Amino acid sequence: MTTAIPLLQVTDLSIRVRGTSAPLVDNVSFTLNAGETLCIVGESGCGKSLTALALMGLLEGTPLQVEKGSALFQGVDLLSAKPETLRGLRGDRVAMIFQEPMTSLNPALRIGEQIAEAIREHRDMPRDQVRARALEMLKRVRIPAADKRLDEYPHQLSGGMRQRVMIAMALANDPALLIADEPTTALDVTIQAQILELMRSLGAETGAAQIMITHDLGVVAEMADKVAVMYAGRIVEAGTTAQIFDDPQHPYTLGLMSSMPSLAGDQERLVTIPGTVPSPANMPDGCRFAARCPFATGRCKETPLLQDQGAGHRVACWHAPVENFAANSRDEVPA
Amino acid sequence: MTDIILSAQGLVRRFTARKPLFGTPSVVQAVSDVTLDVRRGETLAIVGESGCGKSTLARLLTRLLAPSEGAVVYDGRDIASLSDTEMRTLRRDMQFIFQDPFSSLNPRMTVGALIEEPLRIHRMGSAPERRAKVADLLRKVGLRPEHADRFPHEFSGGQRQRIGIARALATGPRIVVGDEPVSALDVSIQAQVVNILEDLKEELGLTLVIIAHDLAVIRHISDRVAVMYLGEIVELGDAAALFEKPAHPYTETLLSAIPIPATGARKARSLVDGDPPNPISPPPGCRFHTRCPYAQARCRSERPGLRTLAPDRQVACHFAEDLSLAGVDATMAARPAAAERRFAVYSNARANMTGAETNKTKLPTEE
Repeated sequence: MTTAIPLLQVTDLSIRVRGTSAPLVDNVSFTLNAGETLCIVGESGCGKSLTALALMGLLEGTPLQVEKGSALFQGVDLLSAKPETLRGLRGDRVAMIFQEPMTSLNPALRIGEQIAEAIREHRDMPRDQVRARALEMLKRVRIPAADKRLDEYPHQLSGGMRQRVMIAMALANDPALLIADEPTTALDVTIQAQILELMRSLGAETGAAQIMITHDLGVVAEMADKVAVMYAGRIVEAGTTAQIFDDPQHPYTLGLMSSMPSLAGDQERLVTIPGTVPSPANMPDGCRFAARCPFATGRCKETPLLQDQGAGHRVACWHAPVENFAANSRDEVPA
Repeated sequence: MTDIILSAQGLVRRFTARKPLFGTPSVVQAVSDVTLDVRRGETLAIVGESGCGKSTLARLLTRLLAPSEGAVVYDGRDIASLSDTEMRTLRRDMQFIFQDPFSSLNPRMTVGALIEEPLRIHRMGSAPERRAKVADLLRKVGLRPEHADRFPHEFSGGQRQRIGIARALATGPRIVVGDEPVSALDVSIQAQVVNILEDLKEELGLTLVIIAHDLAVIRHISDRVAVMYLGEIVELGDAAALFEKPAHPYTETLLSAIPIPATGARKARSLVDGDPPNPISPPPGCRFHTRCPYAQARCRSERPGLRTLAPDRQVACHFAEDLSLAGVDATMAARPAAAERRFAVYSNARANMTGAETNKTKLPTEE
C-alpha cells in the first residue's frame, strides 16, 4: 500500500434515473494515481459512460441523478462541487474527449479558433500567444502542416484528424486527468492504431492520468495500467492489466474473453455468454450476472461484494476462482 | 472449374460525387475492375477500411446495384441479362443481411409478418404452411415461435439481427451476402450471432459472402479473404495462410494495427502514417504507394494488377515475391496455462447450462 494520496478517488458512486428503483451505476469505487491509465471496459448499457459523465459533472439537466458517492480529485469532490467550481476544472485540470469527433467540434468555427477558445476559457493570455499555443498543440498531436490546418474547418479534416484536434483541445491546458469515452471506436483500424499510439506517448510526455472508456478488450490490453470490468452498472472485476488478462476470475470476464474470436483462428466454435443484459427496468436482485452465469447457485441471490483475491485484484463473485468451485460444487444448490 | 457459384468479372461502379452547375462532375470509382470468384459452400470475407468499396461490391454481387462496367455471373449466366421471372428466382436464391438491425426491419410489421413477407412475395406455400415455416425459422435462429406476434421494437439489437437472418433464410437461399452482419453488436451478442450463422451455413449448405472490417471475426468465420483498398482487391487467399503470411503490404498494415487482447502484445506499430487518399482522385500507380513503407519508384507510376502468386493466393503488388511481411503472431495472444484451464472450466460449465434460450451447444472436448 502506498501512502501517497491518489489523483482521483471514487467511492460508492451510484447513479439512477429520478424516481426509479434500480441504480444504473451501483456503488462504483476506484482510485487512479497520477500518470496512470485506467480502462473501464464493458458492453452497451453497463454504466461505463455514465460514470465518466458523472465525474465531469455532465449529468446536470438530465433525468439522471447522482444518488450517492464521492469523487475526490485534488481536494475537490467532483460529485458535490458547485457548478462554478466544476466549470473552472473542466477543460483545465480535467478534460474529456468523446467518441464522435464530428459532433463534438463546432462545424462553423476554424480549428485554431476552437482550440483557442478552450485556452482562453481558463488562461488570460494575449491573442498571439493563444494562437501560438494552439499551433503548438496541433504539432503535438502530429497533425501534418499544422499551421495551415489551424485555419481550416472540421469538415475539411478526416475522422482521424478530427480526433487529433479533439485531443489537442483537451490537452491544451495541461490537464492532470484526461477522460476519453471510446475515443477510437468510430475510426478505422489503422487510424485507431495511430490514435492509440499518440495517446500513449502524450500520456508519457505530459504525465496526465487517463480514464479510458471502451468496449474493446484489445484496446484495454494496449493502453491500460489498471482495468475495471463493468457489468449492468457494477464493477465485477478490477485489477492490473496483467491480473485481468492472465488471471481473469469473474465468470463475466471469462465469458467476454471467450466470446472474442482470436486472430490465431484456433477456436472451433465461440464459447458464448447465453442470453442478454438485464434491462434497467427489471434488474435482478443479488448478482446481476447470475441469470447468464454457468456457475450460479442459490447463494447468488445475495449481492457479492468486490473481494480482494490478493495483490489488489478485486472480484465480485461468490464462486471465484471458478475451478475450485467447480470441483467442490456438488452440495451447492443450483439457482 | 464448376464449383463456382458466383463470379464478378471486371466489375466497375462509378458514382457522381458532386455535380456543379457548370463544368465536369467529379466521379468516384467506388469499385474499380474487380474480378472475383465465390466458390460453392465457402465463406468468403471481403475486408477493408471505410470507403474501400466493400459494401458497393456486395451490392453489385447481389444486383442491388447495377455495375457501370463488367458482369456478375451466377450459375453460368450474366445476371444483367435475366428476364423478370428469372430475376425473381435469383432473388429467391440470393439473399442479403443488412448491418443495422434497427433500420432494416419495418417497425409496423410483426416479426411473423416480416419473416413471412419473402415467402408471400415468392408465393411459396399456403398460409398455414408459411406460418409453420416462420415458427421453424424463429427456432432456427434461437428465438421462440411465439415471438412472431411481437414487433421489432420489443427486441434487443442481437435479437433483431436474428430476425434479419431468419428473414433472409425464409426463401431457402443458396447464397447469402451479409454486409457487416455482426459489427453493430456487443461482443457477447456478436459471438452468439456468429455461431448461429456458422450453424445455419452448415445445416443448410449455404454459401456466405461476408463484408466486415473486424479482422478477428473474419479470421474466425471465413475460408477465404479478399482485402480491398480504394476500390481494388489487393490480396485474395486462404484465410489461415493470409493471416499467417500476408503478401501485400496493406494486408500487413491491417493485421499489425489490430489491438490484441493479451498482455505482452503491446507493440510499437505505427506502420503507416496518414489517411487513405481521396477516392475521387486516387494516386497514380499502386493506390497504396502513398502509405506503403516499401514503395519504390515503379509503384508510383505503374499500376500493379491482381496476379497469382501461389496456388490460392492472388496479390496486386510488384514486389510481393521480394517482401517478407509479418503476419499474426499467434504466440502473442497466448495465456498462462492456469488461465487456459480456467477458460476450459468456463467452457465446460457453459456447455452444460440448460434452459438457456440461445443456440444449441456443442461440447468441446476438454478434460
